[in-house]
Amino acid sequence: MRPLAAAILLAVSVFASAVSLTAQGASPDISGYWELPLDGKFVPPAKLSPTVTPAMLAAEAAKREKAIRWCNWVGMPTTMDVGRPLNIRQGAREVVIVAESPVTPVRHLYLNRKTHIDKEIFDPSTSGDSIARWEGDTLVVDTTGFDPTKGITVIPGGGFRTAETRLVERFRLLKGGDILSVRVTWMDPSVFQTPHTYEFRYQRAEREYGARPYELCNPFDPERTAFLEPSK
Amino acid sequence: MNARGIVVATMLLLAAFAASRGAAAGQQPAPAAVPDLSGGWVRVDEGSGSFDGTVEKHPPAALTAAGRALRVQGDGRNVIPAGAGTGPANKAGQAYIVNTGGCTPEGTGGSAINHNSAAMFMLQSKDEVLMVREGPGGRRFFMDGRPHPDLSRFTPSLYGHSTGRYAGKTLVVETVGLTVGNVPGGGKRRPETRLTERFELSSDGKMLMITYTWTDPELYVEPHVYQILFERLPEDSYALETWCDSSDPLQTQSIVPPEQVQ
Repeated sequence: MRPLAAAILLAVSVFASAVSLTAQGASPDISGYWELPLDGKFVPPAKLSPTVTPAMLAAEAAKREKAIRWCNWVGMPTTMDVGRPLNIRQGAREVVIVAESPVTPVRHLYLNRKTHIDKEIFDPSTSGDSIARWEGDTLVVDTTGFDPTKGITVIPGGGFRTAETRLVERFRLLKGGDILSVRVTWMDPSVFQTPHTYEFRYQRAEREYGARPYELCNPFDPERTAFLEPSK
Repeated sequence: MNARGIVVATMLLLAAFAASRGAAAGQQPAPAAVPDLSGGWVRVDEGSGSFDGTVEKHPPAALTAAGRALRVQGDGRNVIPAGAGTGPANKAGQAYIVNTGGCTPEGTGGSAINHNSAAMFMLQSKDEVLMVREGPGGRRFFMDGRPHPDLSRFTPSLYGHSTGRYAGKTLVVETVGLTVGNVPGGGKRRPETRLTERFELSSDGKMLMITYTWTDPELYVEPHVYQILFERLPEDSYALETWCDSSDPLQTQSIVPPEQVQ
């Protein structure tokens, strides 16, 4: 019986490996250009923590105004909604997201590591540190390491990101690959009573689409300054 | 089940495994001949002690009279008072803002054509190869066989329009549609100028040599050719996020050019 049991175990093991590897190899390819239509946003209001005061919200709004005025890198969550298509490219090592904007840093979603960079090493940033993994047909991206002082910190639906905020995004293709759903969940007990979740649904741009040149952001343009700071 | 049955069952499972792997591979082809350029790369200082020194080792560009006369006008943000000549001419006594260049992607090296010490990251997908820096934007090399657009209907940009193909183990990228600007080694460029880049890996995959060839009979007596060497970053490396703030007084100090002795 012992050889028989060993053989069965071997067979089951081989089958399990086959299923697992096939699932990895057959991961959907979300590469392409994706645009967010007006009706592609489902954003409920966030349930903010009672500790969040109007003064805190005003301070975050001021950061937003300052970032826009001075062409600062805006980072997450704005990168995912700049009004123009996102270029998403999927490789074996990482998934890269490039927005058509002069102020949105490129996002790197690392598939080749399971843990975040040590806080002692990682310099907080507007995009944070993102690690990604496939769960069946869904790309799950986990991001921490945000810099609360830089970029646009306010979050759709209410609230803002802090140094302790954790972001989980679930990317999944719908309608035969024509739609990319990104389900976004922000977690931070100091800001939200419960995790704040919303969903963006992007439409795949035509195959021939090529990123268009964008106007570079010039913080010293007097006309732009007069528009953004009419009181001065 | 007897021993023979177990063997047969195991063989069937192995066959199913092989078939499933084949199907997966068919969905996302990864031709073995394609060089693996994906990952992080940092420019190597080839012994000169500075990147300027490295540039000085490039063969000097042989410009035509029109090439020498082509005026390169900066946009006033990334002004480098001496040397690179990318800024507008400032009159004596006229204050102007010096920006480090880090606040805009078109700063030195930002276009991923004239590389500085910041790392660049490449990602190869089926239809496109991405080359990005540690900030916004990036270059896209279309690999789907599309031609360059009609330049009369194309807005020149920092990145231009790039198409790529694999020639053996070399990635060959052709770019047109760049804005007027300077090129290392004393060269110039305009939208019609054609840049050909050849990406070649060392045999161990740890080094990358990019050979740049700028071709434009209007600007150059002969094609302007030079090379830049890159070293592959470790597998666990990651992209940093450059940061600078134009509202920071330290980044926007005024310079008042003095009268120049003629």
